[in-house]
Amino acid sequence: MNLESQIQAATHVIAPTWPLDRSIAVNPLWERVDRPMATAAAEVASRGGFELLMPRSWYRSEWDAGRLRREHLVQAVQGSPVSLATVLAALNRPRPTVERRARVTDVADEYRDLVRQEAWADYVPHHISQFCADAFANDTGTPLFQAWKRSAQTDRGPSLRMGATAFRDLVAGLPDDAETSIAAALAMLEIPEREVVAYLESLLLDVNGWASWCAYRRWTARLEQREDHTLTELLAIRLAWERILIEGGEPKLASRFRHAMASWPQVDRQASEANEVDWLLQSAVEIAWREGVLTQLAQAPQASSEPAVQAVFCIDVRSEVFRRAFEAQGPQLHTLGFAGFFGLPAVYVPAGSATARPQLPGLLAPRFKITDTGVTEAGAARRSQALDATLSWKHLKSDPTTTFGFVEGAGLLFAARMVLDGLGWTAQAPRGAARPRLTASIDDVPLTTANKCALAEGILRGMSLTTGFARVVLLAGHGSQTQNNPHAAGLDCGACCGQSGEVNARATAALLNEPAVRQGLAERGIEVPQTTHFLAGLHNTTTDEVQLYDLDEVPDTHRPDLEALVTWLRAAGDRARLERAPKLGVQATTDAARLAALQERARGWATVRPEWGLAGNAGLIVARRASIRHLDLAGRAFLHEYKHEQDPNHAVLEGILTAPMLVAHWINLQYYASTVDNLHLGSGDKTLHNVVGGHLGVLEGNGGDLRIGLPLQCLHDGSQWVHAPLRLSVFVEAPTEAVQRIVDAHPVVKSLLDHGWVSLTCIRPDLGTAAAYRGGDEGWADVPLA
Amino acid sequence: MNPELTLSTLPLALPGVLPFLLFAGALATWWARPFRVARGVTLATAVLAVGAGVLGASTGLEPTQRVMLALVGLIGFVITRYAEPYLEGDPRRPPFVRALLTTLGAVTVLVITPNLGVLWVAWMGSSLALHQLLTHRPDRPQALVAAHKKFLVSRLADVTIVTAACLLYVELGTLDIEALGTWARGATHVPLAVHLAMVSLVLGVALKSAQLPFHGWLTQVMEAPTPVSALLHAGVVNIGGFVLIRLAPVLERTPLAMALLVGIGLTTALVGAAVMSTQQSIKVKLAWSTCAQMGLMLVQCGLGAWSLALLHLVAHSAYKAHAFLIAGSTVDQWRIAAQAPTRERPSIGVALVALLGTGSLAWALGAPALSVLWVVAVAGHLSLGTGRGWWSSALVVAQAGALVGMTLVWHAVFSFGSTPEHATAGSISAALVAAGFVGLYLLQLGLARWPSSDLARGLRPHLYAGLYLDEGFTRLTFRIWPPSLPPRPAPIAPSTPIVQEA
Repeated sequence: MNLESQIQAATHVIAPTWPLDRSIAVNPLWERVDRPMATAAAEVASRGGFELLMPRSWYRSEWDAGRLRREHLVQAVQGSPVSLATVLAALNRPRPTVERRARVTDVADEYRDLVRQEAWADYVPHHISQFCADAFANDTGTPLFQAWKRSAQTDRGPSLRMGATAFRDLVAGLPDDAETSIAAALAMLEIPEREVVAYLESLLLDVNGWASWCAYRRWTARLEQREDHTLTELLAIRLAWERILIEGGEPKLASRFRHAMASWPQVDRQASEANEVDWLLQSAVEIAWREGVLTQLAQAPQASSEPAVQAVFCIDVRSEVFRRAFEAQGPQLHTLGFAGFFGLPAVYVPAGSATARPQLPGLLAPRFKITDTGVTEAGAARRSQALDATLSWKHLKSDPTTTFGFVEGAGLLFAARMVLDGLGWTAQAPRGAARPRLTASIDDVPLTTANKCALAEGILRGMSLTTGFARVVLLAGHGSQTQNNPHAAGLDCGACCGQSGEVNARATAALLNEPAVRQGLAERGIEVPQTTHFLAGLHNTTTDEVQLYDLDEVPDTHRPDLEALVTWLRAAGDRARLERAPKLGVQATTDAARLAALQERARGWATVRPEWGLAGNAGLIVARRASIRHLDLAGRAFLHEYKHEQDPNHAVLEGILTAPMLVAHWINLQYYASTVDNLHLGSGDKTLHNVVGGHLGVLEGNGGDLRIGLPLQCLHDGSQWVHAPLRLSVFVEAPTEAVQRIVDAHPVVKSLLDHGWVSLTCIRPDLGTAAAYRGGDEGWADVPLA
Repeated sequence: MNPELTLSTLPLALPGVLPFLLFAGALATWWARPFRVARGVTLATAVLAVGAGVLGASTGLEPTQRVMLALVGLIGFVITRYAEPYLEGDPRRPPFVRALLTTLGAVTVLVITPNLGVLWVAWMGSSLALHQLLTHRPDRPQALVAAHKKFLVSRLADVTIVTAACLLYVELGTLDIEALGTWARGATHVPLAVHLAMVSLVLGVALKSAQLPFHGWLTQVMEAPTPVSALLHAGVVNIGGFVLIRLAPVLERTPLAMALLVGIGLTTALVGAAVMSTQQSIKVKLAWSTCAQMGLMLVQCGLGAWSLALLHLVAHSAYKAHAFLIAGSTVDQWRIAAQAPTRERPSIGVALVALLGTGSLAWALGAPALSVLWVVAVAGHLSLGTGRGWWSSALVVAQAGALVGMTLVWHAVFSFGSTPEHATAGSISAALVAAGFVGLYLLQLGLARWPSSDLARGLRPHLYAGLYLDEGFTRLTFRIWPPSLPPRPAPIAPSTPIVQEA
């Protein structure tokens, strides 16, 4: 293996992290899904010290609570060399600790008096992090390593603070180019050929936060058909530190490091053997959850009647609670689950804005443009001026020359502002769009009717809604309501670049109401009755209120339908809040008081937990609603509508398993990873968060590495974990042969399933059967549906 | 007892109730739900403190004390309300509330006491109580290191301040602040001990106000929950300024101490502002801004502009408390900035015209030297913000005009009708200050105009690193008096024992 491919292999495994303003939930181990999850876990454990399982005490508490039982363990150990007795015994014992491969920083610390000197293992990532924050916030286009070398050459910090007097000279002696520097350092450190990749990877995992940021640059570059090598540059910086510590440190350090290196294989071995039993416990907890779903499935489904309304919600687990509450009011109320960007891969350019923002999952490149059509030119200019005024005021407030005078003249205004903010009077609801409509393709070519019809057809077929249209079809996007929250975007939509679904819902509803599109759809075999009106809405996931849009476009004939819908939505909100509010500690006893309490939390500038987000997510069910309408999934499942008999060649199912399922998996693994190892894969305590570079991410407290993943407050209520980390259990209502064909055709899907990142069960409630995918060539195992 | 007499003594008793309320609240948290107690107590304090301000002289408090009391009451109330939902689920809520109320109680004692000795004890008490808040997360070594550094600096400051108090007492036989003031106004000769006392006091105040090079504790205490930062930056770090203002009559007689204030404060203000503008994380940026603003407050004291110093003290408190509490909105701000049209690079011609124009206007109005602040603010805003069409330019002019208007109004309000100000301002000091801020203006202008010049690129990393001023201090701290930290996680990797080769 030459150096280039070694670097490629080491940098390849880092998954991206999105900036805060467009955050997307990511599986932080996404680039490792080509290997079994247990293998990936052992890798990041020995190379980075990461943890991918809960402590034994958690499994034990599941057992004590009666959720995890003997029969689940029996199922889990099937086919494994581990005996049931061993697993049972493990529940009472703590897990053996796993060591991490030593880096030079660790070895150098052995020579320091850590009571009277700071540790290199803390200082080096912090130092790199500080540099990265500045370099990425003011990107000048200089290659990262070169920029680092230039600033480090004059940096007196390491010498003054850590006593590394030779630092600047040693930096000056480094090659100018990242790859050359990497080669030279590897040679100098005498890393054996077979260890190079793992060693480089362990260095990247030491600055995993900024490495993930570099991987984001690579990700976006690739969506634009470019390459980005910033990650290699970062690697060169981290490696340069290793070399410098040896060159500038104790003479014995080199031989001591070689000694440590000799222990690496042993550390690896230990890591890969240590957790076998724990992975069985993890599987057993997931089996237990699936059992609950299957048991409910076996019960007789609810009767439903002709639809008065079809309400389409995002597949998001938060929709499940609301949909159940909505449907509970009558069999004529139908709901569907569909990806919350409504199949519209678009960017949105708000009126008066100089930039477009993506409104689609990060896996896709945008193809269309949505603009505000309800604003006059003068209106857009006013918006632009308002932005300008805000920005200008901000400069006056914080520029070094103006800030002294500003504080003296205007500082006291903030006394009043502080009181108003504290009372929630200044809380801002996100400004709504003004008739956002699909107006052009991404390269500004106006859309043709044929384009629009093809898009509309794809959307309706994607949600299996091609016949039996109700008079009103509500397309409800979702958004969260929160103030002063750096992670707000993560609550809006875990998939669609952290935006609310309003714009997509409104543009889609308008598209489907266009007469020309209706006609085109009919030509394509989808007869949407004249009497059907598509209506856009937004489900506020914090307060469970639904806001409806563009009501002036609702025909007079549909006014009574609209009024009925509003009533149903209100009642559904009351019901959903009754279920959700107590989990947030809201003790109000009446519907009105509960709503008021949640609204107050949503407006509060100090609310760290406006809602529980997607905490608890554990499964994805791809099925017709009629089959699962009677299930109470407690807000833990993503739900996607799918009718396999309408999809003879299974193209729609293929789309679902290759896109929404991956999105659900990303969200699921983000919650999982942030829970099992919040230190490395989550972002820690929200009350200490310190936003860096305006939007790049957060630091926890004063410094340290960039933090990725979810804050503790999204997962833990202060006394216990609210999110139970379960890997995604997918249920698909479709024939196993069809699913098998799709799995075989898509290596990524197959990899996720074969390697235990996701589990898959085919359900046929109509036939009373279910079968679990076993992975590899082992086919399917019948599962009792009772 | 004559009922009239009782009524008229009520206002006199009012201030004394406040610390009692707060300390009682801190005690009550052992029995009652901590935040419920805190909410009630801080609301009552805010109402009474503002009430004392309204009642005025009948409370027996000086205007400075009344302003400060109202400030502390308001900040305490807002922060408590903020912390309650913010720390939702935090198992360490009760000790947090206790330390918060104790800190506020100690600060109110400090504000209302007529005695310098009591003031010193209360000051130390507030610092010790605050220490509990700064170590709210005892599991975080970074938090302990920062709190430890602050602890050391504060104790050093305590020594210098108690030295000052002792010298005054030995020389003048009293620690009553009023009496000291009366003495100073009448004294024909100021003994050496008083000079030394004031220099010692100024050094203590500089330490407690995070002045260079002992500022490192302030720029690193982001390790406690946000409301603690707000409290520290709005209600504690500025106490030094308050004490100086209380002792103004004595200080005015000790020119060396005054010059020292200008020197330390001006250096910190200018360096702090330059460093602040390069910082990338919001809370560290705000902390550097506080260093700079406290520097300016000391400069104002050093020039004898006491009422301006008081104005700056309270205005900065309100501004900074709000800035910390709203720090979570940084991303929203960024979104707005990303949507707005980009700013052009400033034109040097416009910038110089703006400076000269505003400067001559101020001069024509007979404005004092410290007007340099609004002069550079207006000039800076005009030169950096205009040039993007008539609307933007009009907006910028309007904002700058509004700022000057507000400034003049506040100056009038805070002069309390009397202006003995600037009388003692040494003309050299004043000129130095004016030159310093004009220099800062030119520096920022230059960096904005030529961001990729050698000077800008060479200077920036050093500014970004805070000129390394704290690095040596940290190292020295570890050397001399290391913080006691939780044990590092068990040694990792080499599972074989370390063989120390001979």
